[in-house]
Amino acid sequence: MTPGRYAVATLEELWSGGLLLERRLSHGRAIQDETGITADDVRDDALVAACSAALDAMRARVLSDARMRLIAEATAAAVVQTITVALAGLSIVTSPEHLDADVETMRRCIPRGGEIAAPRGVPLVWKNGSGALLLHEAAGHPLEHGRADAAWPPWLQIDVPLAMRRATFRDVPLLRMTTVAARQTGAPFSLPEEHVEVLLVDGGSYEPLTDMVTLKIAAAELVRGEEVTRVAPFELAGSRAAIAQAVKGAKGDPIRYPGVICSREGQELVVASYAPVLLTEHP
Amino acid sequence: MIYRKRGRVLRWENGIVVRVDESGLALEERDLFECRPAPFDVRHAELDELDEGDFLSAASSIAASIHDAEGVTIERLIVMHGVAVHEYGEKRWSDASHRVHVSLVRGRMRALLDLASLDAGAIVSVARTLARTGAAARPIPPRMRMAPNVVAALLPSLVAGAPRPEVRLVQTAGGIDGRGDPVIEATSGWPNWYRPSYRVRPLRAPLDVRLECAVTEIDRGLPVAVALLGPVDVGALPVLIDDGERPFPATLRLGRIEAVATQKRWYPYGAGSFGAEMML
Repeated sequence: MTPGRYAVATLEELWSGGLLLERRLSHGRAIQDETGITADDVRDDALVAACSAALDAMRARVLSDARMRLIAEATAAAVVQTITVALAGLSIVTSPEHLDADVETMRRCIPRGGEIAAPRGVPLVWKNGSGALLLHEAAGHPLEHGRADAAWPPWLQIDVPLAMRRATFRDVPLLRMTTVAARQTGAPFSLPEEHVEVLLVDGGSYEPLTDMVTLKIAAAELVRGEEVTRVAPFELAGSRAAIAQAVKGAKGDPIRYPGVICSREGQELVVASYAPVLLTEHP
Repeated sequence: MIYRKRGRVLRWENGIVVRVDESGLALEERDLFECRPAPFDVRHAELDELDEGDFLSAASSIAASIHDAEGVTIERLIVMHGVAVHEYGEKRWSDASHRVHVSLVRGRMRALLDLASLDAGAIVSVARTLARTGAAARPIPPRMRMAPNVVAALLPSLVAGAPRPEVRLVQTAGGIDGRGDPVIEATSGWPNWYRPSYRVRPLRAPLDVRLECAVTEIDRGLPVAVALLGPVDVGALPVLIDDGERPFPATLRLGRIEAVATQKRWYPYGAGSFGAEMML
């Protein structure tokens, strides 16, 4: 165990319909040495003040028609502000900086009725940076598990920096993703007449024993020429190799996806996510 | 009313020792739940010291216990020993707990066990069964048994699901709930409060639930589901079945429950559940 000290303060509030339901303050430190980790809830006033100030500012952004969790976490390195927004069965993870734009995107994805089942075998176009979620599961988690990289197309660069991270001062730090940032250079992109546009992803998983990736798509649309039909939530599953092979094209610059809370070993961490529009076959 | 807790935990997490000492308070005012760290003085006698030497020895023994299960490895092993003092208004109580979570892996199979004692016996037994397991799925036996650890894992889902006329789910009397009241026998209405941490808003829930059936005789000759091979899903329960020959993986759909044995053991699933052998 690498010797070191870690101190953190976290202030979190849960709001629903404009009402404050829960408020949690947490603070503590962890001291790592050759005998392990010794953790207690000693308070660092400066860290508590920093996250209190951040949360005061975030509180002004509470929406009256959504369920929102505001989280300000202060360490010696930074104050990180995270907001989760749940609305009409959809949810996103964002920051004060991107809240308005991400909520607007989410509102556009709210089901309006008349959704059809996802057609099988139709190519998928991953919009809004949602392709980063596919790569999070198919490239990021395997990297955390020390798996060899899959055969991704040569025009797709996937940058997944790893760092020792922990959710709280009580947790053992693990080698985890900090960011998934994909970019394309000279990728082909030929939009099929009929395709499914993936707009929001609800979650996903990677199973290291079987090398299988599963993604739950929360919002998508079937596009046939000018005709656009909303698709009901659906699940995609495939082996990592099949998913890498299914990636057929990409276009544009990386787009920031409205955040990902990644859970592993019971520790939930935010992972920043960026990807260009991706074109894949249905894996 | 204010709830206070002071706790110490020793955790052995995949070989790394973690010691945590903390205290905090929680309060509820109308709809608002609030919690924060706060000093909570307790008398020395109220909060047991944790013997790190004994604990590490037990955790290491568990880690080493599966050495003769060929091809089986420990993917994850978390061993925990905790002590805590609680206060809610005028009520004050203390408790101690042991927990073990282990996932055993062989090939593409993963067996999951959650236990409330540091006894490695159950882990060794499942590891040895896993070592003998064939990869191919086989027909699910029309009649079979479920081991207590599998039944215990299933109970929280049964509580949440539709009632089954052939069995009765009962909250077992004993111990203290999250608001300092005695846990009483109950089959509905759930009069007690579950509070696993001072950071969690307490909620009414069935505590230490057990399953009762008019028939208690179990046919010991039937194949038995000895462990879960994945998360609990009543409609598709992944289990490891031992029929006395070559164990095999299967996905069960929980049918009619024919019998539940009376001998039971407590497991840390949901708000606590008693596992007893069950016959389908």
